[in-house]
Amino acid sequence: MLSKKITKQELLVVTAAREIKNGDVAVLGIGLPILAGAVAKQTHAPDAVLMMESGIIDFEPRVLPANVADATCTRGYGYATDLFSVFTTITYAGYLDKAFLGVAQIDKYGNINTSYLGKPPEAERITAAGGAPEFFAYAKESILTMKGKGFVEKLPYFTSPGYLGGGDERERSGRYTPGSGPRMLITGKGIFKFDPVTREMYLDALFPGINVESVRADVPWDLKMADTLHAFPIPTDEEIDFLRKLSPISAFPVTMGYQLSAAYHNSEREKKATCR
Amino acid sequence: MSTAGSSKVMTTKEAIGRFVHDGDSVITGNYTEGMPMSMIFELIRQRKKNLTYYSQSGSIDAEFLVAGDCVDRMCSAFIHKWAGRGFGSMVERYQRAGKLLVEDYTNFTYNARLAAGAFGYSFMPVLPAIMDSDVFKVRNSGYMGEKKFDVVKCPFTGREIPVVPAANPDVCLLHVQRADRKGNAQHWGGLGSTVHACLASKTIIVSCEELVDYDIIKSSPHHTIVPAFRVSAVIEEPYGCHPCDLPGYSNPDRPMYSLINSAFYCEDGLKSLLDEWVYGLPDRNAYIRHYIDLFGQDTLNRYRARSYYSAPADYGVAFESAWDANGRSIDLGVDMEGLVQLIEEKGELVYVK
Repeated sequence: MLSKKITKQELLVVTAAREIKNGDVAVLGIGLPILAGAVAKQTHAPDAVLMMESGIIDFEPRVLPANVADATCTRGYGYATDLFSVFTTITYAGYLDKAFLGVAQIDKYGNINTSYLGKPPEAERITAAGGAPEFFAYAKESILTMKGKGFVEKLPYFTSPGYLGGGDERERSGRYTPGSGPRMLITGKGIFKFDPVTREMYLDALFPGINVESVRADVPWDLKMADTLHAFPIPTDEEIDFLRKLSPISAFPVTMGYQLSAAYHNSEREKKATCR
Repeated sequence: MSTAGSSKVMTTKEAIGRFVHDGDSVITGNYTEGMPMSMIFELIRQRKKNLTYYSQSGSIDAEFLVAGDCVDRMCSAFIHKWAGRGFGSMVERYQRAGKLLVEDYTNFTYNARLAAGAFGYSFMPVLPAIMDSDVFKVRNSGYMGEKKFDVVKCPFTGREIPVVPAANPDVCLLHVQRADRKGNAQHWGGLGSTVHACLASKTIIVSCEELVDYDIIKSSPHHTIVPAFRVSAVIEEPYGCHPCDLPGYSNPDRPMYSLINSAFYCEDGLKSLLDEWVYGLPDRNAYIRHYIDLFGQDTLNRYRARSYYSAPADYGVAFESAWDANGRSIDLGVDMEGLVQLIEEKGELVYVK
């Protein structure tokens, strides 16, 4: 049951949280994925094993972490290991059910760019690869989130694999966990999935208040649609209450959240400076 | 090489002055947890030049070092864009201007280079999917050229395996919770690539929140991530990673991060930040005093950790000696006199002059 007003950011977190099943071993990126993991574990997936690639395995996010090895994530957790072991003994060895990471640019087959908007070293940088290429290659399935309008016909830089050129190309290459690949992309306008045969991305659900034209406007190819477009899930009070307790700033867009927080901290500092 | 007899305990100024030279390759271990900020500030203060900097997750560490004109080359798997699309990051600005050569790896392939270096191998296999990525395909945009990656054939399966060359940085800077005077360094929390970063390096400088007796180390060896014989210098440096976090000591200091973050939004913001917080202050003590002047002691305290102790691991054993409390051998049932007799009767005696 939902009895309160919620924000776009909160709906996105809860939508993502519903994708984590009880018992999943899931690696979470900083930001929305961490929040989604925390909500899932608190509500419908208490036995999910949440992990971060720094070697923090089976943890419970208590506050919004600032980095992948954040001290706030190691106050009580099940298995302390390191990055090398995460990618080998857990990921490549086949024990990672879900990789849950944010992306910047995506093409119609779910291939990802998080590195450069052109040719390095002159091109503008996005961030870089981080752990994404190996997680997207060897997790049994991947769930992607994207903030902006990052749909492109051709990636200027291919950081991480989706379904490569589509069809069974990924499967045939022999370089990937069989059956793996991106399962869905969640954005502020919709949920996108991938055709099981062609592996081409299609629109599966529309974000509340968004129409198909608005989605198409961001996509440079002729975007396919599900036969019936689905709705986003409706959060429960329990999910929203927990999320607000976990990370009050996450009710806002990321930049706004940090601006509000910085404004508060900076005004506190100035108050002290005047008192001196 | 351990420096037996002479003390390794020194100040940050001494350690950086003695062990880091212009042109060296320098590495820090983790994401930003436990980032050795005091040593990074000292590199900048001593105006070290032409460094090759290894930073897995290039954050304020890389931004400060690059803004301080210490670094020519960087090897990394991530660059945080502090000021978003507008002013971006210092690493990005220097890279695009041709003042900094950056070699981009993934977290795993970056770590694999260090693992190879730590194990003494000349290269390390990495996971095959990387061959589809531009991280693998795009060469010559950094400083390693074609030899950023290569491919070998597995002698057993015949399959193609991508490989990375070993990395052995000259100096590793490590900040931990505690260490003893000889350099046994104990860290707990997210490890990232810290251990491989240390063990791959030729020289390791350890700073710690608390210098402790060897008794503490030997009762908790599972926390020792670098053994003393690998460590060249030990520094007791409370708040040595501030404003970064460290389990048992502090959360990320948000007010300080907010101050730093605002510096990224103007062209020379970071330079003035360095003037005020690095060049303008002699050491970490002065840094913390300056912080307290600006933010107040209560703010510093608010981000200080409240303890949550690990359950002690019981390393106890039934026998700590071959002799019981009554002076009898546990295996032979005799006392020392009885043993001498037994030796004369049953021992294979030799007669030496």
